Amino acid sequence: MKIRAIAFNTFKEAIRDRILYLLLFFAAACIIFSRLLALLTVGDRVKIIMDVGLASLSLFGAMMAILMGTGLVYKEIDKKTIYTLLSKPIHRYQFLLGKYFGLILTLFIMLFFMSFIFLTLVFLHTFRIEWELLIAIFYIFVEVCLLTAVAMLFSCFSTPILSSIFSLSFYLIGHLSWGLENSIDKMKPGIAKTLTQILYAFIPDLENFNFKTEVVHHLPIPSEIFLFSVLYGIFYSLFLLFLAILVFRKRDFI
Amino acid sequence: MGLKVKIDKISRKKIPGSSIIYIPSGKYLKFATFGYSSLLADLIYLWSIQYYSDYSVVDRFKYLDHIFSVIAELDHRYLDPYQIGALIALYEARDLDLALKILDRGLEKNPNQWIFPLEAGHYAQMAKKDYKLAQKYYKKAMEIKGAPPITKRLYANASFKLTDYKTAFETWQEIYKTTEEERIKKIASNHLFQVKAAIDIKTIFEAIEKFREIYDRNPVDLSQLVKAGLLDSLPKDLDGQDYHYDSKTGEVKTQTIPWKR
Repeated sequence: MKIRAIAFNTFKEAIRDRILYLLLFFAAACIIFSRLLALLTVGDRVKIIMDVGLASLSLFGAMMAILMGTGLVYKEIDKKTIYTLLSKPIHRYQFLLGKYFGLILTLFIMLFFMSFIFLTLVFLHTFRIEWELLIAIFYIFVEVCLLTAVAMLFSCFSTPILSSIFSLSFYLIGHLSWGLENSIDKMKPGIAKTLTQILYAFIPDLENFNFKTEVVHHLPIPSEIFLFSVLYGIFYSLFLLFLAILVFRKRDFI
Repeated sequence: MGLKVKIDKISRKKIPGSSIIYIPSGKYLKFATFGYSSLLADLIYLWSIQYYSDYSVVDRFKYLDHIFSVIAELDHRYLDPYQIGALIALYEARDLDLALKILDRGLEKNPNQWIFPLEAGHYAQMAKKDYKLAQKYYKKAMEIKGAPPITKRLYANASFKLTDYKTAFETWQEIYKTTEEERIKKIASNHLFQVKAAIDIKTIFEAIEKFREIYDRNPVDLSQLVKAGLLDSLPKDLDGQDYHYDSKTGEVKTQTIPWKR
């Protein structure tokens, strides 16, 4: 109940943030721009629209999660409103989870609007609803949820600028980790390989949520990967939220 | 505003096609895309279309293979760039080998796409008149599921041009038997007529050659070949008609043109 109240208030606060609308505007502009870009191609125009649209959704979704998530806890501390909140009979984990779910709700609505524009544009070209695109959009949302947890973790102990840099690095590392997997395959057995394998197990693999290419090319996706990718996203987010709660509980507010 | 207009009017030296140097190998570029490799492939492809439309870049074909290999590396399932790359290589760069290389790459990365060997076969046939190569590509295309019926017809035609009459006859026969379209049946029938005539005329010619060696003249009519024991019997065309023979020139041909049957 308390988490829901905080989440609802976070949502009300987040939708008043101008940066959200600025990003939404740019995302919509990019999606619509894909139509113009498609005119330049020789061949399949819909492929260009789908690629640009899904990339816009993913990129602007990630930016929204990072830019808003990093300021979430910090703003409360900076404006000293945290004292009022924590003086109430609520646990710190309830406060954090409320903030998290409030932002997730905001991001869900933003992704919904962006997806609506995108799917309408695709529909105007193909005259059919491309349900497969919803798979890619769903996994973009899972990735955004994970990034929000990352941003929140950093927001608990750092300034928004540093948190944004850390979260962005997490995002980039997450999309590069498959390179490490390739390196492991080429390494000779030994300590170096074991250490690299351990490192690979810990660093995030955000490519698990990247189904953009498969969806655009109408490729079959193994059913197990759907489930395991969602579970991976949920457990990684829970792990990050757990870390965030640990950090937040240890913090002193003077 | 005025300053901007002023600056725009100043002409600056540009090196045509200099942007090409910024494209690294696709293998490494993929690392830098952070999950947006498909989008980057689109953008490079769009850029390449503009680049190859710019005739001021004299040596633009030097990097053709590189550019299209980068796109293939970034999104190997993107089919348009292979086709357009090959088209540019053949018709603009006049480099058939490069066109075939790009199409081969497309097939290697997308083994279920019949369009690549079909186009490669067409290019080999049209640009180089290399029917052996064309036959090889058409055969590859035929073996891929979903290949259109025309592939088999092109294969049969290339076999005929190669004077591989046995393969040509068998393939046209198969087309004749399996097609349900009357138009295709007619085409196949005409080709069967043509292939049979080619086989028969070749046999008759060989017999005439031998007749000439023995008698030092052309036979008066074709029945002399049978009488001389050079042929078991006189072959007839697919419609059961005799072949037309000119004793003065030694020329043998069908009485009807295959396409006017």
